[in-house]
Amino acid sequence: MNFDWSVVWTHAGELLQGTEITVFLAVVTMMIAIPGGIVLALLRLSGSRILSGASASFTELFRNLPLILVIYAAYYIMPLTLNIALSPIATGLVALSLNVSAYNGETFRAGIASIRKGQGDAALALGMSRWQAMREVVLPQAVRRVLPVLASTWVSLFKDTSLVSVIAVGELAYTAMRIRSQTFRVLEMLTAMAAIYWALGYPQAKLVDWLNRKYGINE
Amino acid sequence: MDLDFSPVIESWRFLLGGLELTLALAALTVVCSLLVGGAVGLGRCYGPVWLRVPLVFYIDSMRSVPVLVVLVWSYFALPIVTGVTLPPFWAALVALSLQISAFVAEIVRAGVNSVRPGQTRAALALGMSQAQAIREVVLPQAIVRMLPAFGSIISITIKDTAIAAVIAVPEYMNRSQTLAGQSFRPIEVFLVAMVVYFIILFPTTRIVDMVYVRLAHLGRS
Repeated sequence: MNFDWSVVWTHAGELLQGTEITVFLAVVTMMIAIPGGIVLALLRLSGSRILSGASASFTELFRNLPLILVIYAAYYIMPLTLNIALSPIATGLVALSLNVSAYNGETFRAGIASIRKGQGDAALALGMSRWQAMREVVLPQAVRRVLPVLASTWVSLFKDTSLVSVIAVGELAYTAMRIRSQTFRVLEMLTAMAAIYWALGYPQAKLVDWLNRKYGINE
Repeated sequence: MDLDFSPVIESWRFLLGGLELTLALAALTVVCSLLVGGAVGLGRCYGPVWLRVPLVFYIDSMRSVPVLVVLVWSYFALPIVTGVTLPPFWAALVALSLQISAFVAEIVRAGVNSVRPGQTRAALALGMSQAQAIREVVLPQAIVRMLPAFGSIISITIKDTAIAAVIAVPEYMNRSQTLAGQSFRPIEVFLVAMVVYFIILFPTTRIVDMVYVRLAHLGRS
């Protein structure tokens, strides 16, 4: 058994590029999924039966499907039914955004619902409009409760970006596995891949713990 | 756009076999993870420091590395290190259990910490040993409070088994891919897959939540 770790260094540039795409995917998905989640939560709480039903169905559907299946489905179904040919990376973004929006919607809804009803009632009694009560009283408190959950969704998302490798998006996992099959340095490349994910994810997981300690609710 | 589901219907036995494998893999993973994760969680809460440090390291590492990476590593790289080649199914079981155990350990810790420390102190003041206080006072309340989280562990596990398709475990996801390739009907095959996974996953957490509503009073203090 002999190992040749130099293969990791000779392909460092490609791995770096893959890592950049991984970070890019996670950032863009979150930028789509936070507004998406807010819209879903507001629709859910809107009081209109149709809108809240539609939002609930969307949320339940995507929370109850394996992400890898959503990715495959987006890859095969979107071009054939909607007649739009997206690049693999855009397809990956669509699938990730659908998934994370559903989770964020639940997070925001729970955050808003966790603010006692009396607070909104008091704001209304003071003569605020429903929208004002939401914006001035409920949301500022809800954000504090939502932040730690959002942070752990971010960590999951960062890991889940690895799944878009199955539709040949050139992010970290795909790049590492491609180099593995070109060089036959299986152990070295897979270990390097795991190490890079670990090095990026570990501080994030610790940050989530810190956010939870700082903002978490102890009842 | 015309849909033709006949290739899916003709291959129902093939898909059903995949579904059985999905459920078997998920069930085994949940059982292994509850045992290992329970032990790791309790070790983290009550164990000596030399045990706690590596356990925390293990838990946080698993929280920061994707399932896909653990799966691929245990299937392709582990044989090179150990010289033992596991069949895909068992490699997937090992990898998924490694990941899910860490989540179970976190749930156990949250559950144990949710029982106020005054309760343990009261139990010790009554002359119970540490082990008795944990067994008789803390755990009965903590386990009830962990129930909803364990429910989501079951559905997370079922969803993660789909990733095992990547290392060619012939479970439902993998067989859907095979069928999609052979029949040239990917839309129908994946639509059916979405329905099948939804039908399994949607009730799972609901049932656990219903059980929890029945039992929630046992966890109050």
